[in-house]
Amino acid sequence: MNDLELIKDFLKNRVEAPLLDKIVPEATLTELGVDSLMLIELIFEFEDKTGITVPADIPPPKTVGELLHQLDDIRSQQAVASKQAIK
Amino acid sequence: MTKRRVAITGLGLINPYGEGDVEDFFRRIMLGESAVRYHTLNNSPRPLALPLVACDYFNPIATLGPPLANAMDRFSHFAVASALSAWQDCGLAKHCNRDDYGVSWGTGSGGSLTIERGYQTLYFENKERVSPLSVVLAMNNSAASHIAMQLGLGGSCITSTVACASSAVAIGEAFRKIRAGDANLMLVGGSEAPLSYGVIRAWQAMRVLAEGDETTAYRASRPFSKNRSGLTLAEGAASLVIEDWEHARARGARIYAEIVGYGSTCDRTHIARPDSGGQVRAIAAALQDSGLQPHEIDYVNAHGTATVEGDAIEIQSMKTVFGEHSGKLAVSSTKSMHGHSLGAASAMEALITTLALYHQSMPPTANVTEIGTDCAGVDHVLMQGRNNVPVRAALSSSFAFGGSNAVLAFRSVSA
Repeated sequence: MNDLELIKDFLKNRVEAPLLDKIVPEATLTELGVDSLMLIELIFEFEDKTGITVPADIPPPKTVGELLHQLDDIRSQQAVASKQAIK
Repeated sequence: MTKRRVAITGLGLINPYGEGDVEDFFRRIMLGESAVRYHTLNNSPRPLALPLVACDYFNPIATLGPPLANAMDRFSHFAVASALSAWQDCGLAKHCNRDDYGVSWGTGSGGSLTIERGYQTLYFENKERVSPLSVVLAMNNSAASHIAMQLGLGGSCITSTVACASSAVAIGEAFRKIRAGDANLMLVGGSEAPLSYGVIRAWQAMRVLAEGDETTAYRASRPFSKNRSGLTLAEGAASLVIEDWEHARARGARIYAEIVGYGSTCDRTHIARPDSGGQVRAIAAALQDSGLQPHEIDYVNAHGTATVEGDAIEIQSMKTVFGEHSGKLAVSSTKSMHGHSLGAASAMEALITTLALYHQSMPPTANVTEIGTDCAGVDHVLMQGRNNVPVRAALSSSFAFGGSNAVLAFRSVSA
């Protein structure tokens, strides 16, 4: 499951049904009904499913695309960090 | 200043018998049908089964939709579902955006299931964190706020936590707000979702829960009976829409009954053992507030939890207040059928009392064939309700742990 699919899977029981087709990178979290608490829930679930650690101080993303980008960056940084640790 | 009158114009509940509406619920109550079943708890670490009222049929996701259902504890699911039903019954548009309409809700233990879930996560699943929604799910005022959001009620939004009198206090305080002109309409009631392993074990430890098995569970609760043996826990909710009389008349609303009085007192004696003195003062205060004379009260929906001590003290209190009228005073405890839903119980009983006045009928105490000698002296309505009897005015009593007493007085519109 890629990151967008993980987000869609998380939101399927939390947003109104008509919004499910609108979970695309351009969509704002506000229009999807994702508030700050739901974002924390999403990040917790993301961490549980992917094993990466999302820092608590990441800037709040405005769109799904921004969130995906942040998650991607964090994953790359942590992959580099763990490789260096192995060396 | 003249006091405004307060009309009851909408009723809704989580029906402990299943899918049926408020009238279905009342019809079963009048027949003396018990909703108590031998229930196996499915969220406990070890098998636990006992007589309970569990609303398993209720599906929060189907009723409220996934976003709302996931954002609330079960006690709020019950609250919002029953409130939406009462609102529909009262005939007002769903999202009204009114600042003169408010919410007054009761709950004993709020989101105890969420709290238990949190401890499971921390202690048994060895995780370092709980759901970020834990606080807003568990806090006692979340049910009231969700109701206000769903219906657009912008006036005061208050929650009363007074153990088993929670929703009587919620209704009584809202009644006073409307009467004084501080609000024109209030959505009132109570909800409870106490069927967690920890909460049930806590009640068992007090040795106040009635026992039973597959065949006897339905008659586990026997208030005022010679062989009464304790209460049966229940989950659920009930809601009422109450409003200024002229406000109700102006919009052509159906008026079920009138709330006319409220009395609240504290025993100030013991945290668990009820005291007749405090109860007598609460009943007398409700009568005085209503302007009704004792002989005008035709029916009392008693607190009647079926504990050995509590029932006898309650009957003694009624005899003290009603004197020679006691023998004619029809009394029943409907907890024998809908169980004891703690913070929701008084709202459920206020709803039943309202319908008793509306239909001119008296609901029974079920499961009882012989009244205890210590509970004699009033006119117990037993096994089946009485239809087509004059019910001019009625009381609903709630006497909670903590010695907190709340009594509501109601009057028939027609009689």
